[in-house]
Amino acid sequence: MKTMQKALPLFGILISLGICVLYLIWDKPDMNILWQVRFPRLLLTVITGMSLAGIGSVYQLMLANPLAEPYILGISSGAAFGSILLASLGLLVLMPLGGFIGAILTMLLVWRLAQKHGIFDRSRLIIAGVIVGMFFSSGISLLMYLNREDTVLILSTLMGNLGRIFSHSEWVLFQGLSILALAILAWLFLKSRALDIMSSSDHYASSVGIDVHRTRIQIFVLSSILIGIVVSYAGIIGFVGLITPHIIRLLIPGTQKKVFLSSLVFGASFLVLADFVAKSITVIELPVGVVTSAIGCPFFIWLLLKK
Amino acid sequence: MRKLAILMITILALTILAGCPSNSAPGKDRYVVLSPEVAEILASLGLESRIVGLTTECTYPTSLRMIHKVGAFGAVKLEDVLALKPSIVFTTALEQDGIAQDLSRLGIRVESVYPKSVNDIFLEIERIGRITGSDDKAAELTASMKQSIHEIQIRNSSKIKPDVYLEIYRDPLMSVSDKSFVGELIEIAGGNNVFDTLERDYSRVNPETVIAAKPDIMICFSQDNLPNILSRKGWQVIPALQDSMIFFEDSIDPDLIQRAGPRIIEGIMALEKIYEHWRTSTP
Repeated sequence: MKTMQKALPLFGILISLGICVLYLIWDKPDMNILWQVRFPRLLLTVITGMSLAGIGSVYQLMLANPLAEPYILGISSGAAFGSILLASLGLLVLMPLGGFIGAILTMLLVWRLAQKHGIFDRSRLIIAGVIVGMFFSSGISLLMYLNREDTVLILSTLMGNLGRIFSHSEWVLFQGLSILALAILAWLFLKSRALDIMSSSDHYASSVGIDVHRTRIQIFVLSSILIGIVVSYAGIIGFVGLITPHIIRLLIPGTQKKVFLSSLVFGASFLVLADFVAKSITVIELPVGVVTSAIGCPFFIWLLLKK
Repeated sequence: MRKLAILMITILALTILAGCPSNSAPGKDRYVVLSPEVAEILASLGLESRIVGLTTECTYPTSLRMIHKVGAFGAVKLEDVLALKPSIVFTTALEQDGIAQDLSRLGIRVESVYPKSVNDIFLEIERIGRITGSDDKAAELTASMKQSIHEIQIRNSSKIKPDVYLEIYRDPLMSVSDKSFVGELIEIAGGNNVFDTLERDYSRVNPETVIAAKPDIMICFSQDNLPNILSRKGWQVIPALQDSMIFFEDSIDPDLIQRAGPRIIEGIMALEKIYEHWRTSTP
């Protein structure tokens, strides 16, 4: 049983690699399609899956809330609102920029609301995030109502769209942002031990030399940037950030370090699989957000009943 | 004091009366039209004077712009429609099904017009002719349209057919199938729609399939511009991009081929011109 537990991560990595290879070579695309269209889409999917699952595991621990997920702090709604606003103004190419600006402004607003007399309050952060998220969601609904011709674009942002067409310059920018995203994930991984300690109590964490307030700010700011990147390019994809860390904790219980790394691998491969299904299961490409829930929920229920 | 109050009430009442639409008395032929294509059909049957209300999208012919607006295509103001006391409200399907049901429940006669194919367009024009008592004019109009299409098909029958990709949306990419009248128009004009067999009339398409289809002509109604299209990753192998055969709204007005009305003939002729340009410009 112990050997099986040890072999599980390796097995997971092998399966993930297999899924990625299948994703790339399915239908035997020519070299142009493979490298110019499918590979960029795979990279976007992998970065998105890793980011959502990684942030989900961090937020659930930091906010001490099993329902926490990357979108709970309203950053995603702000990012989606920013990108949709620019799209409705006819600036389709600038959608990622709008998303990024939306994410940063929302982050500043939520952080300001979460402070009480200059002191961070965990509950206030969640409430502020939910309220700000609702505000921007209503903004998105208004944009959709006023710009009927943009309904498809807005829905694809809200239900996830990994089929983005990159121009050459956008691709160079995205590669840079992918490196930034990986660097943030690496930093979050390094904070795993501090997060484990902080989850016991702030006093205890402070007594062992962790600057709790500073660590929380850093995590909040960096994770918001990461969410901004992901939502700007892929829209809002549900389920991955919420359930992946729970599945990992059920399958491979352990410290945050282990959960975080496994979440990255599982989140990425799960989203690649979901996108593969979304593209291939029917003649019409399905929104990937629908597929993640359709596959993930029954799997999670099965796992919950079994474990 | 009492005189002043009476005077003020009288002024108020007169103001309210003056604010009411002058044509609010019930009449026999008072049409409220919520769909731009029906507005075009009614106008081409010479029934413009019967239209008392329109949605903001009903922009052709330009003389319609003077008529009272009852909201937008997907956001119709029910009370405004009722205030006009229409004898018939013309709607289309899908987004307007809800408002059509609401109006029917209120006892208003609603006629829904939703042609999905070119043949449907003829049938719907003739139906509108029967509804409005303009049977002869409608028959004349459809006969002339059929004749034009027949002539266009004959003069293009022996010509080489370009593969045509019509992009109606970007992010996600969307195109049209031959099940839609738009796809049919592409074919009637002498082209070959690369997405002729999509599952839906208007459907999302994978960028990979656009590249693999290698269209000769790209018609872009997705609000994207030339530099962006030329720099799309992997698209440089597409003949339409290599030969600069990308056409935008300044080459063909989208309303000519996206509104199922009498102007589709102009749309087909605009497509013909584009195809002819391709035939003469490419080896």
